[in-house]
Amino acid sequence: MLEKMMKTKLFGWIDERTGAEAILKSQLTEYQVPKNLNYMWNFGSLALLVLVLQILTGIFLAMYYKPSAALTMGGYTVAFDSVERIMRDVNFGWLIRYMHAVGASAFFVVVYMHIGRGLYYGSYKGPRELLWIIGVVILLIMQGAAFFGYLLPWGQMSFWGATVITNLFGALPVIGGFLQEVLRGGFAVGDPTLNRFFSLHYLFPLLLAAIVGGHVHALHVVHSNNPTGLDVHEGKSTIPFHPYYTIKDAFGVGVFLLFYCYVVFFNPQMGGYFIEVDNYVPADNLQTPPHIAPVWYLTPWYTILRSFESKLLGVVAMGASLAILFLLPFLDRSKVRSARYRPVYKQMVYLFFITVIVLGYCGHSAPTPTLKLIGQIATTYYFAFFLLLPFVHKFEKTKPLPEEI
Amino acid sequence: MKFKHFLTVAGMALVLALPFAALANEGGAALKHAEVNTADRDQINRGLTVFTEVCMGCHSAKYVTYKSLIDYPEIGLTREAVDELRGDKPITSGLISDLSPEDATVSYGKVPPDLSLIVNARRGGANYVYSILTGFEKDPDGKIPDGTFNEYFPGHRIAMPDPLGWLDHDEADTAVLEAQAKDVAAFLTFIGDPHQNERHAIGKYVMIFLILLTIVLYLLKKEVWKDIKH
Amino acid sequence: MSDTLDHTRRNFLYVAAGGMGAVAAGAAVVPFIGSMLPAADTLAASKTEYDVSTVEAGQLVVIQWQGKPVFVVNRTPELLKEVDGHDEMLKDPNSEEIEDVSAEWMTPENRKYRAIKPEYLIVVASCTHLGCIPLYKPSVGRKEWGDSVPENWPGGWHCPCHGSLYDISARVINGSPAPHNLHLMPYKYLSDTKVVIG
Repeated sequence: MLEKMMKTKLFGWIDERTGAEAILKSQLTEYQVPKNLNYMWNFGSLALLVLVLQILTGIFLAMYYKPSAALTMGGYTVAFDSVERIMRDVNFGWLIRYMHAVGASAFFVVVYMHIGRGLYYGSYKGPRELLWIIGVVILLIMQGAAFFGYLLPWGQMSFWGATVITNLFGALPVIGGFLQEVLRGGFAVGDPTLNRFFSLHYLFPLLLAAIVGGHVHALHVVHSNNPTGLDVHEGKSTIPFHPYYTIKDAFGVGVFLLFYCYVVFFNPQMGGYFIEVDNYVPADNLQTPPHIAPVWYLTPWYTILRSFESKLLGVVAMGASLAILFLLPFLDRSKVRSARYRPVYKQMVYLFFITVIVLGYCGHSAPTPTLKLIGQIATTYYFAFFLLLPFVHKFEKTKPLPEEI
Repeated sequence: MKFKHFLTVAGMALVLALPFAALANEGGAALKHAEVNTADRDQINRGLTVFTEVCMGCHSAKYVTYKSLIDYPEIGLTREAVDELRGDKPITSGLISDLSPEDATVSYGKVPPDLSLIVNARRGGANYVYSILTGFEKDPDGKIPDGTFNEYFPGHRIAMPDPLGWLDHDEADTAVLEAQAKDVAAFLTFIGDPHQNERHAIGKYVMIFLILLTIVLYLLKKEVWKDIKH
Repeated sequence: MSDTLDHTRRNFLYVAAGGMGAVAAGAAVVPFIGSMLPAADTLAASKTEYDVSTVEAGQLVVIQWQGKPVFVVNRTPELLKEVDGHDEMLKDPNSEEIEDVSAEWMTPENRKYRAIKPEYLIVVASCTHLGCIPLYKPSVGRKEWGDSVPENWPGGWHCPCHGSLYDISARVINGSPAPHNLHLMPYKYLSDTKVVIG
């Protein structure tokens, strides 16, 4: 179909003026991809889909949302009221808002799977170091965007989450106080904070879109990794992206939409995981909810933060746990990419996935001494995973690699 | 275990465990189960009556306007019924209690929370509302005075006076009071998310369509890929 | 692939997938564009109640209806006389080009008054040219207007933006850039003096 379209007169006219044919060929119909990618490779295109969905629903929500902490009747605020107006009075407002709220969680589900795939199959290793690093930047911006967005409904969780996180920045030496003031724009989280968070929440996805463009470009230069981790040779082991992977990605989109729409239409709060119960209570700066925890996708890092007695150490550890992702391509010295042929790394990376899930669970639960200990053990392994990597190749006996994929 | 299998198991376990984990009520007894049906027009309307006659003495539901009582098909009051209910309040007004926040603070020590979102804002939702309304007991330790002890309220001491008269009711009235509590829980569940029935109705068609679309895409994928050996 | 049957199957699947995808995209547009239409609370506020007896004789009051200004004029018997005698100056003396004619109460005798009760004229206060609010210039202030209006104009409204002129029934005068008389809106009397607009 694409080939037919490219033969039309109109396309010819456009091509003469834009070089569209060369772009389409180099990026789609002649862009070579290993033929053995499994379904774990679908999460990249899904992440792009969710980004588009988030930007689209966000634009429409912004037509009705009002970032103001001015009080209204019953202890609510203009911001909270505007969200409820979207949920009740705006035509299909409930759908768009639930799509956006569920989409935030879906974005992290998809991206965490995408990162997990990269870890397992060694997609971060040379020559894809920069591709991985751009990806980590994307993750950080996503977390920022999610954090800014979570303040907007101005519920109890919004308010206290923002209070806790801005206090974190305040714990940093020298620049802490400055950073905190820049984020809050006042003595505490308040109306100025809400306004700037709304502005930044609108800005970050646009940044994200630009950097995702860079991510895809970098990918198309170094080409996709594959489950064997072997370097592929054009011809025998590769197939053009279009139609093979466009169709496969489209099928992936279908499966994703099944899950996504099921949650949006039948369980949008996801039992308090996607929209927290306490966030239906209007923000009250005089009363902290009995148990506050970030939304699920931030809880692993929250546990790392809580695992240290010293506030400063906790903040530094949390920062380090994210920063160390940048170093991953340089820490792993093994010549073999895929965990399929790396028995030691395979065990390590499985344990790492479990660790992150455990960290997430601990961060979501109210702190108890046992959970705290578990969290500390998990935190230790989180870092150990990265710090052991430079040495693993010295004793790991890799399995023989196949000749061809 | 293959990577795929690991992920499948982990993913399934999470998806199944998540919705249940957050439902527990913290700091009170295990909740009683309220049978509420947000598509049951009769139950919601009975709940509305309880709400306007009992709850609205102190509580408001500011996000629910008089106009919406006509417009939501699940309530569907007539214009005349709403005019009678609202008196001289404008039709675009929410269901606002006549008790002023100042008077409430004097009488009860705090402002009663708005009930528009109470079911969404409490762990246990409708079960919580139902349990609280039928949870006024005598304090087994005898410390908290009668009428302010509630078995299901976190910390047990509640500022709200027993609204349905549960504490000293006759045995014969139990069923009536329980029904009232369930009805008002149903009403509050409905207004907490007034488009939920519409959402479910549209959702069914969306799901059927997506299943078909996904099947077609799967067949197309198989068809296109069948010349690739791997 | 070389076999025709295969090709048919593949083409069918392509068309089916493409068609369903188009349907999905089309359906997805509905809630998004739908959300840009006026919300339920906006629509609920679409009616305005007003007591016309609060307008003093010969005076004009501007009220709001659906966020738009509306003129309410209490026309004295003297002003009411001024609706006659200049039909040749009007573009559309019987308001035949606009929706007025369809109003139930708009009897042939009522046409020149353009009101249910002739003494109370209620019209949308937007010049039909480009939407400015015309200035009320009844005949009594004739001298004050000076050269800004033509000598033989009977008095009514004068739009400051592009000079459109209307008579005391808000009918547009020939030569004005405005194409139509000022619009009426649906309204009815709830009691003797209370009207609901919308």
